[in-house]
Amino acid sequence: MSSRFRILLPVLSLAVLLAAVFYMQPRAMSYFGLNLLFNLAVPIALATVAQMMIIMVNDIDLSTGTFVSFVACVTATFLNDAPLVGLLILAGAIAVYAALGALIEARQLPAIVVTLGMSFVWGGLAVLILPSPGGSAPGWIRALMTAKPPLVPMAIVASVLLAAVAHFVVMRTSTGAILRAVGGNARAVSRSGWSVIRLRAGAYALAGFFGVLSGITLVGLTTSADANIALRYTLLSIAGVILGGGEFTGGRVSPVGAVIGALTLALAGSFLSFMRLSPDWQIGAQGAILILVLAVRLVFARNGRRKEAQHG
Amino acid sequence: MNTKAKLLGAAALLSVAMPALAQDQTGDARIALSNNYAGNSWRQAMLESWEKVGQQAVEEGTVAAADTFTTSENQATEQAAQIQNMILQGYDAIVVNAASPTALNGAIAEACSAGITVVSFDGIVTEPCAWRIAVDFQEMGRQQVDYLAERLPEGGNLLEIRGLAGVFVDDEIHAGIQQGVEENPQFGIVGEVHGDWAQDVAQKAVAGVLPSLPEIVGVVTQGGDGYGAAQAIKAAGRDMPIIVMGNRQDEMQWWADQRDANGYETMSLSIAPGVATLAFWVAQQVLEGADVPKDLTVPFLKVTQDNLDEALASTPDGSVANVEYSLEDAKAVIEEAQAQ
Amino acid sequence: MHFGAVRALDGVSLTIRPGECVGLIGHNGAGKSTAVNVINGGLTPTAGTVTYRTTGTGAASARAAGIRSVFQELSLCPNLTVEENLRIPQRDLTGPGWRRRARQRIADALDTVFPGHRLQPRMTVGDLTLAERQMVEIAIGFAEGAVPARLVILDEPTSSLDASIARQLLDHVRDFCNRGGAVIFISHMLGEVFDVATRIDVMKDGRITDSRPRNEFTQQGLIDAMGHVATAPAEARKETSAAERIGDEVLRTDEGLTARRGEIVGLSGLAGHGQAEALARFFLSRSKGRRHARHPEVVFVAGDRGRDGIMPLWSILRNATLTTLPALSRRGIVDREAEDRLGADWKKRIGIRTDNMNNPILSLSGGNQQKVLFARSLASTAPIVVMDDPMRGVDVGTKREAYEMIRAEAAKGRTFLWYSTETEEVCQCDRVFVFRNGRISAELTGDEIDEQHILAASFEMKEPAE
Repeated sequence: MSSRFRILLPVLSLAVLLAAVFYMQPRAMSYFGLNLLFNLAVPIALATVAQMMIIMVNDIDLSTGTFVSFVACVTATFLNDAPLVGLLILAGAIAVYAALGALIEARQLPAIVVTLGMSFVWGGLAVLILPSPGGSAPGWIRALMTAKPPLVPMAIVASVLLAAVAHFVVMRTSTGAILRAVGGNARAVSRSGWSVIRLRAGAYALAGFFGVLSGITLVGLTTSADANIALRYTLLSIAGVILGGGEFTGGRVSPVGAVIGALTLALAGSFLSFMRLSPDWQIGAQGAILILVLAVRLVFARNGRRKEAQHG
Repeated sequence: MNTKAKLLGAAALLSVAMPALAQDQTGDARIALSNNYAGNSWRQAMLESWEKVGQQAVEEGTVAAADTFTTSENQATEQAAQIQNMILQGYDAIVVNAASPTALNGAIAEACSAGITVVSFDGIVTEPCAWRIAVDFQEMGRQQVDYLAERLPEGGNLLEIRGLAGVFVDDEIHAGIQQGVEENPQFGIVGEVHGDWAQDVAQKAVAGVLPSLPEIVGVVTQGGDGYGAAQAIKAAGRDMPIIVMGNRQDEMQWWADQRDANGYETMSLSIAPGVATLAFWVAQQVLEGADVPKDLTVPFLKVTQDNLDEALASTPDGSVANVEYSLEDAKAVIEEAQAQ
Repeated sequence: MHFGAVRALDGVSLTIRPGECVGLIGHNGAGKSTAVNVINGGLTPTAGTVTYRTTGTGAASARAAGIRSVFQELSLCPNLTVEENLRIPQRDLTGPGWRRRARQRIADALDTVFPGHRLQPRMTVGDLTLAERQMVEIAIGFAEGAVPARLVILDEPTSSLDASIARQLLDHVRDFCNRGGAVIFISHMLGEVFDVATRIDVMKDGRITDSRPRNEFTQQGLIDAMGHVATAPAEARKETSAAERIGDEVLRTDEGLTARRGEIVGLSGLAGHGQAEALARFFLSRSKGRRHARHPEVVFVAGDRGRDGIMPLWSILRNATLTTLPALSRRGIVDREAEDRLGADWKKRIGIRTDNMNNPILSLSGGNQQKVLFARSLASTAPIVVMDDPMRGVDVGTKREAYEMIRAEAAKGRTFLWYSTETEEVCQCDRVFVFRNGRISAELTGDEIDEQHILAASFEMKEPAE
């Protein structure tokens, strides 16, 4: 399955879902409506890109949700009251992520265990910083998230910008190519004289960076934080990466797809809400949408392989 | 709000009669309930009450719609998205039982700026543009001690059963009980255990602490723990003190059995799940243009010796006593808040 | 150069000058790959030196000296495009326009080495066929870079190329050397080596035993040069008359592999030519179904203990009785006493060196771990035992014991399918199939089973096709 084809399915599923939402709720087809539909998807998309950086090097991050919650708590407290301290803490958090990557590579630890452990650390720190829900968003981020650019709503602008930046970093730069190579064939990379420890640390640092952005934008939308605010993001981000055409192994990821995957998941929630589906069925239905898309992808992939076999 | 007015309780509110005014002003208004959780009997009863009152209001033409939405996971971000969807769906008012007091503020601000009335209850939100129907948990603790002071003027030793450690509600009720004891110095708390609002936990905790306690005359509780406490005390062979109950069906059943057997007398109070219907009527009143203060207080639903049988009969097994509020109840609550 | 207790390279002296194409040949484990890895700096020699044009040692100076390696096992990233794969070895491809430069370099290299190829630099490697991937890998080896390629090491470069593409490569290698480049060419296709090499070095047991210009060798001479000088013929094999114990044919596979009751059948040839796959296919085809667990028809002795042999956290006993558990249990409950009896029996029979069978398996040496795996298989009732290079990393004493054990079991009517990379082991067999390129290239019996015949069948003799 080539990379161009990889992006087709996420685009298609988003388009179908969007059409269904517009049909059910024509009000959504407006500047205001699109913003409402998608603005909470922006932090999810950022978290998904963060997760993608980890999946890119064949690992998985089970601490995304608590990390974003932690960042949200820092944003609503330190970053607001003492911006310099807040920035230092967030920079430190990114450094911790980088160190984790290095540790995982150096000691050959399973990332799933390390990040699961870290999820408790981040969660504990979040509660320490913000024992009860509260804090407030720094003015600049609130202003940024509620900005009303002409013609295109902020949520769409932010998503497109994110997709473009992530695509550039991961798919276009030479460093991005090497990082993906770590996922594809780490042995070949190390044999060519690269330090895989440093590369993995870099991928984790990128994940930490986008995770920080996710937490900051989330607070920009909610105006305040709570230590459990983003727990869903762990699974949402993993689902988003996969929905967007990524695969768990082999460094096969698509940044544009990941952003679209995150938007699709957010939209699926709205779609089910508009359907007035009972909450007992909602999780199941969300899962069914996911399975449906993946099943379609599998069918496509199989057909592609068959065609290839005929050619070859 | 003065204490006396509160003492009247919900039962008293029912008697306040007000003429219904110009209900057709909101006849095409659509109200939605945004609920974050439906996984326990209290929430189930809450949704049932809403459906019942909402359906009736729609039939009578008071409002055009009273829909409920519950998020599949008890998560603030999901509920924020749900509220944004409601804005899109064009509801005129959104009634919220919030997953987080702060994390929905962004979405609620969006709703307010779209001209939508937002009323939060039970799980309230801090966003200033929304109305809040809060529970005065401190008052709940204080009233228990006041009742015991009425029954036992000479005072005595009390056992306090607390809720889940570290939770806001537990701290609040506890503070109220302490305040009550300060006001009534003839009482002293000799034991304190955590019952986690569950009968089995409370029973174990009370059984564990009983041997070290002197005679106790009363047990102050947080609801959900009274029946367990009674079982533990009975097993220890002690005289049954006055246990203040929390409206759970098993608690009231035990109380009724004891009353029939030996004339046991106590009091029970809690928040009725039907508070959602109070929020519904408050939202309707705001839509109608009534002057409604932003902060309102939920009246307690009290069960006394007189209405025990009635309350027990209307409460299903494993559930909690409930009452649906009427427009008049809402107006009374609003008036009370205005009077302050 | 040592690997553990094994001396992989011993006094190798190899000088490569510009314009030379050295054909490096030798049998399995002769030390070719180790030599290559020492040259490209991947391994540091325990004694001796490697000198490059540049100063210093190690991988970085090897790269700086223009040494490029094209490895036998594919070392591309399938998730990247062709041009992006060039970025991995070429560190100067950074900054704006790196992609354009990479595209130019790889396209030029592909055009030069494989004129008329249909590859695009933007194609994802994962979408390419095996041959196309090998072409890309070779092209990367010859591509222009910050340091031009001066010595390209090609390890079995034509293994998945068809004849005409292979010819293009050979032409290019000759051309490259004529222009002053150097190449080390490792191949089992002796025809190709003769075609392209200016000098042929023969490796055996970690030494270079022969190094002469190509025209001083004949193909038969090469085979002779590769053979072990002192291979003790395995007389022990003849102890029991083969004719007595070998019965009717019990298996026949699509490839043409056959075996009879009580026969020890060897699979030989160069490593990675389809022997392990043939064994796995046969084993899986005979081990399906529910009946298999209790009365297995075939059991497997793994050579790669870590990957598909031992349970590292289990005790010796548990590891030994794993296959036989269904037979040892009644109504789903394992009969512990029977298990202990079985363990004690096998401990005695094959001499597992431990004082307690309940010790963890990792407390044993590699050879004894392997014995436990033998015990696991032989304790079952299966009439056929499949062995995938079971003596890997096992000392000589243990090997002797294992040979005895196998012969004793064969005498009781068991059939063995035995893949080994070592000629000495293969010489224990009654019949040997030599594999080349995934097919059986020769079937040897009786006195034919010797190193000469196996080597001859392992290496491609004919000239590459025009």
